[in-house]
Amino acid sequence: MVLKIHGHAIAPLVRLVAEVCREKEVPYELVNVEVYKGEHKTPAFKEFQPFGQVPYIDDDGFVLYESRAICRYIAKKYASQGTPDLVPRDPKAEAIFEQAVSIETSNFYPFALGITTEKIVKKHRGLEPNEARLSDLVNNLKAKLDVYEVILGKQAYLAGGSITLADLFHLPYGTIVFEELGYDMLEDRPNVARWWKEITARPSWLAVKAKA
Amino acid sequence: MVKLYGFTHSTCTRLVALVCKEKNIPYELVHVNLAKGEQKDPAFTANQPFGQVPYIDDEGFILYESRAIARYLSKKYPNQGTSLIPSDPKAEGLFEQAASIEAFNFTAFVAPIVAEKVFKPRRGLQPNEERVTELLAMLQGKMDAYDAILGKQKYLAGDSVTLADLSHLPHGTVFCQAGYAEVFESRPNLSRWWKDISSRPAWLAVKDGA
Repeated sequence: MVLKIHGHAIAPLVRLVAEVCREKEVPYELVNVEVYKGEHKTPAFKEFQPFGQVPYIDDDGFVLYESRAICRYIAKKYASQGTPDLVPRDPKAEAIFEQAVSIETSNFYPFALGITTEKIVKKHRGLEPNEARLSDLVNNLKAKLDVYEVILGKQAYLAGGSITLADLFHLPYGTIVFEELGYDMLEDRPNVARWWKEITARPSWLAVKAKA
Repeated sequence: MVKLYGFTHSTCTRLVALVCKEKNIPYELVHVNLAKGEQKDPAFTANQPFGQVPYIDDEGFILYESRAIARYLSKKYPNQGTSLIPSDPKAEGLFEQAASIEAFNFTAFVAPIVAEKVFKPRRGLQPNEERVTELLAMLQGKMDAYDAILGKQKYLAGDSVTLADLSHLPHGTVFCQAGYAEVFESRPNLSRWWKDISSRPAWLAVKDGA
């Protein structure tokens, strides 16, 4: 049975799972969830994803949610095909990978998500952005990217010399903040700019951007 | 011996100490003087470039981000003390799901609430009450989902405790101490689970200081 991704093609974290499937050459079927009609908040949906969020996957009856967990599961299940070592196996390399994943979780995502919420999600709901909060989020993200600049001055990717899931996790919300919303945070940070250019040029990501 | 560079009351430092206790891993807490801003000194940022605690030095191997340290130590000593990360592919998938739930559906809300209500006042700052109200409202829906999950299984990843459950303890405990225990206690399955994990001897050993 082909892997089923339940979600909406426009949802950033649905696109993340699609991206990792493509990196690992895993065929998938996107099963549309009518998020604009609130399908993900229905009791029927919450049987599979109790938080009422997309995506979740159905891998031959095995249901899994939380996009980063799904990506790890796919990367490990199909370790021997597609882009190698998206989750490194050597203990120390794996630890540095986990460090990089945690960096994305704590030092990137909360700010990128917050900016997206203020500028896009609120707009969809007819609400005005909280300008003070937005300003804080932008300043915090810039301060964190100054540290990324240091890290990426020493190595090509966040976990070392090769690409891993930790880098890919930045794609959906990084694209929203730097490309769709046009926040210029890369010009003054050449190492971050170099890394961002690399990861966004990957054929898998370009394919997902065209059609998840 | 693992050197844990941190602050005895720091939530993230105590997560690492907790895992060391669960796994019977000896460690030495090296006190970082946060009040004096030691974590922003070049000597510190050479090892932890974000200027945050904790980081570890494991016989010369430097690692930061408490969740990464917790995973590294759990995997380094798989057969010592409590088994915290499953290795079967599906069980591991469910563990990763639970670990992600903790980060994005719990700590993402609880940490800023305790930052406003507990840590800011300690620095003489006023909490942003509007933000706290907003965060608490969002957290309630998440806690309902937890109660549904924990009505079907004992722990977040299944019927055995994992690192995903334990990761809730540091921020969750400060949250309860700040007067929000009712958020857990009003939901029967969540309450059962919280009582279970918060009474673990390893947590009681580090709860008041790493």
